Order: sequence, then C-alpha cells, then structure tokens
Amino acid sequence: MKTLLIGEYREGKLLDSTYELLGFAAQLGAETALLLVGSDAQLPAYGGTLYLADVASCGEYNPDLHKKLILEAVQKENPDYIVFVHSSYGWDLAPRVAAALKAAQVSEVIAVADGAFEVGCCNAKMRRSVKPATAKAVVTIQAGAFPVLQPGGSPDVRKLSADGGSSLQFVGYEAAEKKDVDLGKAEIIVSAGRGIGKKDNVPVIHALAKALGGELGASRPVVDAGWVEHSHQVGTTGQTVSPKLYIACGISGAIQHLAGMKKSDFIIAINKDKDAPIGEIADVLVVADVMQFVPALTAKVAR
Amino acid sequence: MKLLVCIKQVPDLESRFKPDAAGVWYNETDLAFRMNEYDEYAVEQAVQLREKLGEGTELTVLSIGPDRVVEAVKKALAMGCDNAVHIQDTAASSKDPWQIASIIAAYAKDKGFDIIFTGMQSQDRGSAQVGVTVAEQLGYPSTTTIVGFDFDNGTITAKRELEGGIKGIVTMKTPALVTCQLGLNIPRYPTLPNIMKAKKKEITAIPVADLLSTDALATTTSFHPPAKKGGGIVLEGDVGDLVEKVIALLKDKTAVLR
Amino acid sequence: MEVTRQIYWNVGHGVVIPMYILAGAAFGVLAWGFWQRLPIWRQGKALDRFDRYDERIKKMIAEVFSQSKIFRVTDGGVFHSIFFWSFLILFAGTMMVMFQADFFTPVLQVNILSGEFYKAFSLVLDIAGILALVMLAGLFIRRFVVQPKGLEIVKDDYIVLQLLFAILITGFLIEGARMAATELQQNPALALFSPGGLLVGQLFTTMTPGTLLVTHKILWWLHFVLVLGFFCAIPYTKLRHIFTTSVNAFFAPFEAKGSIATINMEDDTVEQFGAAAIADLTWKDIFDADACTSCKRCQDRCPAYATDKPLSPMKIVKQIGELAEGNPTGNLIETVSQDALWACTTCRACQDICPANIEHVNKILEMRRNLTLMEGAFPGDEVRTAISNIEVNGNPFGLAYASRGDWADGLPVTLMEQDSDVDILYFVGCYASFDKRNQAVARNFITICAAAGVKVGILGKEEKCCGEPPRKLGNEYLYQMTANENIELIKAYGVKKIVTTCPHCFNTLARDYKDLGLDVPVEHYSTYINTLLDSDRLTLTPEPFNFTYHDSCYIGRYMDIIKQPRAILAQAGGSITDMDKSGCDSFCCSAGGGRIIAEEKLGTKISEARIKMATDTGAPLLVSNCPFCLTMFEDGIKTGGAEGQLQVRDLAEIVAERITA
Repeated sequence: MKTLLIGEYREGKLLDSTYELLGFAAQLGAETALLLVGSDAQLPAYGGTLYLADVASCGEYNPDLHKKLILEAVQKENPDYIVFVHSSYGWDLAPRVAAALKAAQVSEVIAVADGAFEVGCCNAKMRRSVKPATAKAVVTIQAGAFPVLQPGGSPDVRKLSADGGSSLQFVGYEAAEKKDVDLGKAEIIVSAGRGIGKKDNVPVIHALAKALGGELGASRPVVDAGWVEHSHQVGTTGQTVSPKLYIACGISGAIQHLAGMKKSDFIIAINKDKDAPIGEIADVLVVADVMQFVPALTAKVAR
Repeated sequence: MKLLVCIKQVPDLESRFKPDAAGVWYNETDLAFRMNEYDEYAVEQAVQLREKLGEGTELTVLSIGPDRVVEAVKKALAMGCDNAVHIQDTAASSKDPWQIASIIAAYAKDKGFDIIFTGMQSQDRGSAQVGVTVAEQLGYPSTTTIVGFDFDNGTITAKRELEGGIKGIVTMKTPALVTCQLGLNIPRYPTLPNIMKAKKKEITAIPVADLLSTDALATTTSFHPPAKKGGGIVLEGDVGDLVEKVIALLKDKTAVLR
Repeated sequence: MEVTRQIYWNVGHGVVIPMYILAGAAFGVLAWGFWQRLPIWRQGKALDRFDRYDERIKKMIAEVFSQSKIFRVTDGGVFHSIFFWSFLILFAGTMMVMFQADFFTPVLQVNILSGEFYKAFSLVLDIAGILALVMLAGLFIRRFVVQPKGLEIVKDDYIVLQLLFAILITGFLIEGARMAATELQQNPALALFSPGGLLVGQLFTTMTPGTLLVTHKILWWLHFVLVLGFFCAIPYTKLRHIFTTSVNAFFAPFEAKGSIATINMEDDTVEQFGAAAIADLTWKDIFDADACTSCKRCQDRCPAYATDKPLSPMKIVKQIGELAEGNPTGNLIETVSQDALWACTTCRACQDICPANIEHVNKILEMRRNLTLMEGAFPGDEVRTAISNIEVNGNPFGLAYASRGDWADGLPVTLMEQDSDVDILYFVGCYASFDKRNQAVARNFITICAAAGVKVGILGKEEKCCGEPPRKLGNEYLYQMTANENIELIKAYGVKKIVTTCPHCFNTLARDYKDLGLDVPVEHYSTYINTLLDSDRLTLTPEPFNFTYHDSCYIGRYMDIIKQPRAILAQAGGSITDMDKSGCDSFCCSAGGGRIIAEEKLGTKISEARIKMATDTGAPLLVSNCPFCLTMFEDGIKTGGAEGQLQVRDLAEIVAERITA
C-alpha cells in the first residue's frame, strides 16, 4: 500500500501536522511519499521521497496550482491513498484532487479499523465506517487523531514545478486579534461552554479558574455569542492548549474544541448530558448542572 | 445575475441518534429536522447579495431529499430567495458526496449561475466535500470556509477562516463558488410578510433520477455510537458528594491542590 | 316666613335670556372642542365597541356614579370620589334651581324648592359644597405639597384647580351675600340649614346694603362666567376626562381578560402586521389617551417601572396621544422605544387598576407584533435561540422533542397515543416536561390524580409548546403554527377535559385556543384540586406549616382564581401571612409576556423585589402555582441572598405530601 502525504506550509513554516500524516501512514502500514509546497530551507525530518515545489513561486494558498502539482506526483508515485490533514488547507484542496482523479474521498478520519476508515458524524456524537470503492482514494485525517511521527533523516527531494494561471488570487493573511491571554502557556484552564446558560454566569467559571490559579478558556459558541472575548477561545480557530489540568464546563465536545484541548494532561468535564462527546476524551465526566457544581467546587477549593 | 444557494436539511443535533435498520445511517424516527446551520449563513449571504444587486437578480435555493426538506426550502424562500428547486430523493442520505455534487452540477450546468453559495459542511455527515466538488465539476473557481464576503464588479473578495484565528484573503472572478463558515453574517429571522410571500414562490420539483448518473465512490459500512472509552470515570449524584470526589481526584491525579 | 328662596334675587329675571344664550354658546364650545377631537380618534382602525349598548350603558352609569374603580386606591381615591359626588350634588342642585325658575314656576306654578324639602335641599348642598372644598384642598395638598413620586404637574393642573376653587368659593360667597341680605336676620332658623352660607355670610354683615347688592351681582356674574369657563375648558384640558373617562367605561371590552386579536393568516392582502404608527392602532387606543388623567396608578403598579426599566404604561398611553395629535405619521415604536416595549411582563397590573378602563397591554403587544413580524427583531440573542428551538423541537430549551414525555416514565400516566380513553388530558407544558425543578411539580400532580382515582393522559412527545411566550413576544405566526398542531391532536384524540399546571398554558388553551377552534373545558390544577377535595375524591391530612402565597398574574389577575388555592392550602394545614401585594394586587415574578425566555438586563431584578416582599412577611415558605414563578423565585432566592431564609415550593408539592394514605 502506498500513500502520498500532502504536507502543509503556512506563514513561512512547515506545520507539525505534516508528521501526523506519517503517523497515519504508519498505522495503515503503508509506504510513504511526501509532497510539500514549501522551501528547502525547512525540509521535514523524513527520509523518504519528497516532492517539493517552491512556495515562493507557487504561493501558500493556490489550490489550482497545488492540485496540478499533486496530480503530477500522483502520476509518478501511483499511490493508493493521497492523504491530507483535515485543515483549512486540506479540506479545501482534497476534493479538487479527488474530483480530478474521480477518486473517493473520506474526510476527517479518526481511526483505521478492519480495512475501513472511521470518521465522526452528527457533531461527533456518532461514528461512521467508510470504505472507498475506487482504486485510488483521497483521505483527510483529523488534526490530532493520529500520533506525530518524526522518522528523522533527510528526504530525497524531487523538485516539482507547474505553471499556468490560477482561477483565484491569494491576497494575503490578516492577523488574528491580539491575544491578551496566552492560554498556550497556562497550566490550568477552566473553560466555559454554552451549557453555562448565559453571559451572567461566566464570572462563576472565571471564579473557579482563579481559585485554582488558572486561566479562563471558552468554546467557540460562547465567544460568538459575545459572552467571552476571542482571546480566551480554545479550539481550531482559537488557541490550541495542553495544560496540566483542563476543566470543561458545559462544553459538549464539538470536534473543533476537542482538537484544541485534547492534549491536556488531565481533563475534567462537567456536563448534565452523560453522553456528551466530551466524555470521550475526559478523564472524569461529572454529570451535573454546571451552575450548581462549579460554585460548590470553587467554594471548597478556596478554603 | 443568477445566484444559487444549496442547502441541506439535517436533524437537530440535540437528538439521540440510533442506527437505522441497515445500520449505515441514522434512524429518522423521532428526529426533528432543521436547515444545516452552515447553510443558514450561505442563504443569508446570498440574500444580502441579491438585495444589493437588486433588479435583474435571481436567487434560487436548491435542496436534495424527501418531501420534508421542503420545509427548509420554504425557510430559505422566506429569508429572501426568489424561487426553489427540490430534487426529490427519498434516499438522499444514502448517496455519497460525489453523487450529491454530481446531481447539483447536472442541474446547474446549463443554468449559467454566476455565484453559487453552499455551507462549508453539513452538521450530520460533515465531509466538507460537496461544495468544492460541484465547483470542480462545473469548472468554477472556488474557495472554502469564508467568514467575509464582498462582491464588486465581477470580482469576489473572500476572507477564509484559518486555524488560530488568522484569516486568508482571496479574490476570484465570477462565475465562482464559495463555501460558508459560521459567523459569516447574522442570518435574518424571516418576517411574516416574507413568510407569506414565500408561500407563492415557485418550487420546481425534479425527480433525482433525472439528474443522477453516477454511482457512489465510497460506501458507509456502519453507523454506530463511539466505543466507550476505557479509563474515563463518570460521576453522578449529589452535588456535595461530587465536589468531594473531584477534589480527591485533583489531589490524587494532578499536582493541583496538594 | 316662607321657607324658600327667591330665585334670581337681586340679579333679576332679565339675566335669564343672556344667561341661556351664553350658556348655549359655552355648550357650543364644549361640543365643538370634542368635535375637533373626533378626527384624531378616527385615525385609528375600526373596532366595534358599540354592541350590547344597553349593557354598556348600565356598566358606565354604575362605574361612574359608584366611583368603584377610583376607590380601589385610597390615596387620592377617597378625595376624588367624595369631591365627585359633592360636585355632582352641587351641579344637580343648580340644575334644580334652574328647572324651578324656568319650568316649575312659570309653567306648572309649583314651588318645589320650599318647605321641608327646601331645608333638606339647602343643607345637603351646603354640606356638599363644604366637602367639595375640603376634598379639593386635599387634592391640592396631595399634588403640590406632598408631591407623590411620579405625579407630574402640568399646566392643566393649575388651570383646573384654580377654576374649581374659584367656582366653589364664589358659590359660597354668593350664598353668603344673599343670606346676609335676605336670611341671616330675617329667617335665622332657616339659615341654620345652610351652615356654609351662614358662616360666609358673616363676611358681609358689615357691608352697606347698596354695596352688598352690587357685590352680590358681581359675584353672581363672576360665578356664572367661571362656570361657563369650566364648560369651555372641558374639551381642551384634563377636565375632558369628565366625559372621556366616563365614556371609556362604555367602551370597555366584554371579551375575557387577556383576549388578544387573532391575526388571520389566510388573508394575504394584509401587508402590515402589528402597530408601527398611529394608524395601525385602533380608535380606542387613541381615545384611551384622552381618557387618561395621568393618575399614574398603572405606573405605580408596574413591576418593570418599579425596578428601573424604561417602561411606564402611563407614558406609553400618553405618547400615543401625543403622536396622534401632533405627529400622526411619526414612528410609534421609536417614540416608545424597544427597551420599554420588551420590558413588559403582561402582568396586567396596569390595566387592572386603571380607573379609566384603558387597555395598556394590547397596545404593547401590537407594537411587539410589528417588531417581531415585520422586522424580525428580538429583545436578545437568547430569545432568538429559544424561538428557534420552539420551531425545531417544540420547546424553548432545544432539547429533543422525543424526550418530552420521559419525565413520566414509571408513573401511572397514559400516553394518548396508546390509549386516549382518559379522564383528563394533562397538558404538561415545556417547563414541567423538561426542567428538573418543575418536573417535580408534574410528578406530584400525577400523585394527586392517582390518589383521586383520576386517569391521566399526556401527549408526551406529541405535545408542543402551547405557543404563549412567542405570542406574547409578538410572534403570532409561530404561536398559531404550534397551537394548531396541538389543537389537531387534541381534537383527534377526542379529549373531553384538559387540566394544566401552568397558568400560561391554562390561559392559552382555555381562552386563546378558542379562536383557533378548540372548545374543550380547560382547568388549572389550583381549581381542579379544589374540586377533587370538595367531592371527597381526595382527602388531605393537614400538616401545619406557615407560608406566604404568591398569586401568579395569569391565575390571579387574569382568571380571578384567588380563593381556591388558599382554600387548598388551608386544608393542607397552612397558616398564611399574605404579602401586602396579594390577590389582584399581586406583584409579578418577571417571567410573563414571554420574558421567561429572555435575560433581564436592565434595572434590578423583579424576582428579587418579590422575594424581599415574601421574606418581609416572616414566613419561611413561599408557595406558588406557576412553573415560571417557581423558576424565577428559586433564582431570586439565590441571587437575592435569601437562601436559608426562604424556601419556595409549588402547590402540588405541598398537597401531594399530605394526601391521606
């Protein structure tokens, strides 16, 4: 089994998620080749074949061109699977490659089992097993679902170049809002989710964070609703954190949030729904009303 | 200008999901349905554009599925779409993204749509494939996950939402397709006069067989709840007891509260 | 000495013709003044408040003459009522003199105003005059010295008070002068029957007869002109309330309290829903502004006003009047303000206490209809979410509709789907179905019914929100949609009787659903339990407890169910200490008017204000009969710092604990 892994380069950096692709391939037990639109100043620590296109001329986001490059590599490598990370780069590019190859695409894979790919569905509450029916298949893997694998070594670089116009122009990046809070460094984070009920209840969560000597985090819906500032958002569009202790209050566990905190050492989730998806990754699930439990815990901790 | 917005009706995510008889998708009994949340933003953006362009613009909303999807279609009409297409398919949920995209592309290919709006993904299947695949089949440029949209003189300027809160700015010329992310705008609540006008708007029904000509490229072999993770403790009971237990765990398992 | 009075003494009969001509002119001005106001009222839409006119007339006469509504609030109410009767007597007396002079004497040659009758007549009129002056003085002191908070003093107040004082004082002066000239010396025994005049007459005893006669004439004409001035002033000042407020009793609605117009959704010619401008209101809404005397009783009772929200029912009534007169095409909603409109809990305290039969609540509802149906506006995002949840899952929580009946698992309750042959359909409502605290109420109600041998059916997952909160927020469309779904099911199951534990479901199913075609008897459990007790199907073993009781707005003020819950609690062994504001005067918990799904962002918390009233009684227990009240009070106890001091429980919980085993 052969895989062509599509790495990602953004804002001048090779993303670590590239190594998760290798972790995935290892679980499949497949041979690998890597493709990257990047720079030879930052080559991955990988000893296999690397198809490299120069990001300076190709651009970091240029789906038409990147697709052509991938197709070229597919021609040469003839892989069974073309694998992307399910990121804003991957989910944008993968269907284009799949359409060009008329290949099946399986998105956001979280596990491989019995020859089928396991993906989440229904807001991560359920699972689906999917089998491609085409000779080649495009796969995108969920960020953080597969272990990082840095095999080390120096790649055998094959240069790629493609030209031709692009149907869209990438104008540039817009920086994220300034963060007053760097959750990435916090050791303890207590996060508020929609389950806290209303904006007035945020101080209750914040009080627990303070009592524990930690920081306040928030899920996306809570930030969108204006209850907490964006700088506290944990998740794919917020910050990715890995504190020693993460307490999720009234957070159901949408994938995007989990992706941002699943690497925490110890996770306690408080939710009145016993089957909330966050229970999947929590070390402890406290089935209770957030607004009853949290003040009680804060009171005890403060003593 | 001709605009198209593609929507999907999905179950309300608060529901408890159980596998259907074949074990490959959810059983529809006792499920409440609503428009896919991402599609609400797509409809709102399409309607805003339609209002901005004014006379001479036509906005069509399309959905594939059984008769119940007409409710979601009517909501889109009440938000401001001009007319609708219901591609009748009682087995829509058994089609893969490739088939769904092919159906839409088959419908759209001779209609000359200038801009197509879709949601970034559906809340039930969530494969995030259909939008871009439609664009590829039609030969339209496309970009995904937009949280900002502007159209001026044949050019779309879109802001893509990237990881870490950064945005990527992209421009493309029409005809083109965009997939919409949550937070792109604030979807309007339909006013009653618009709800009543919507009752008179045309909904063209097309049997899916007229448009489908491909087989699925992938099959779902199982739909099941996740295996219970070993090691996770579930605590229930009186709040006072729970607090004691959690404090004990914090002392035992973490360095907090020594 | 003849016991009578020479009418037109001193002024002479020559005054008669000019008097009538001038009076006629004054009445002309009066009529013309009101005639000019007709087009202002007519700007509003049509509304039939002329049907059953014999009943309406009886009502008006009874209310106006008994001053029953004025009396309900003694501050100002006592003064006004006595002043009114006194002035009425004086007016009647003057009319009698006129009839005597211009009809009885010349035509019938009969002197009614003589002898014993005249003595009584004199005495009554004098006392009336004294009372009128005293009451007027009291009203003056109240307005200008005591200055009750919120009572605005306007130009009209100066005019009216001065005019009335002047009329009364000149009246006594004329009498005094006349008596000084013709009675004090000549018929002192008779003079005793006019004590006021007797006293005032002392002022004139030192005057020379000539001066006295001239003074008397001047005073007579002065009084006459003042009275004419009074008539002319009526349509142009607050005095118009003599007619407009009285007539508003005629225009009062016959419909059950809380009735709201049901919009015809089938009529696709209608393009405007709700009220955004004066022309969208009814003529009665505009007329109400004329009937309003700014007595501020509504404002005093408004729970929103009391907690610093920008809502004053009186102000809205006045704003409508001002717009109607000064700027009819002006934007009504911007004038009133959205914050004021959304703050209303539809508790009906304003309308209930209004002595002028003004209908405050439906004006607010019509404006809310415009906001919701024409603009898609909401008081907050949380409301929009709740509304969306009702649309998708039939409850504001967004919980899966399929689990709506789960609270009843294991209980002796029949699902209508399985067996519709039940004694009563228990319409549970969203809160009792899904909210943990309120599920306890539902369970206790079942316990009570089971003990009474009542077979209870529920719709379970087929039940949807009754639609009341959306309706009260203006969303008539969602209301009718969810209501029609409920009605279809209820009819299909052949339901004979419905009982509910929620006052909002109760009002909606019992009254509002009639417009949509449901005609099944609906009862609230507070009267239903009473019936079960009275018929001995249920007996309670009393266990004593001290409590205070909260009359929820939708049971007390809306449905006049005040005694029955108290009777039940008494049978349960309760000793009640009522709050000051109880019964029809009860103070809202804040969750009515759809506000149960909204956050209270402005001012202070209404629920905390009510909890304070409860703790002030010293009772350790507050009993309520509404899921919204129960929810708000549980919150209010926590946020208001009354934990440990006060407990709140529902009627059903108290009763269920005391069922005789």
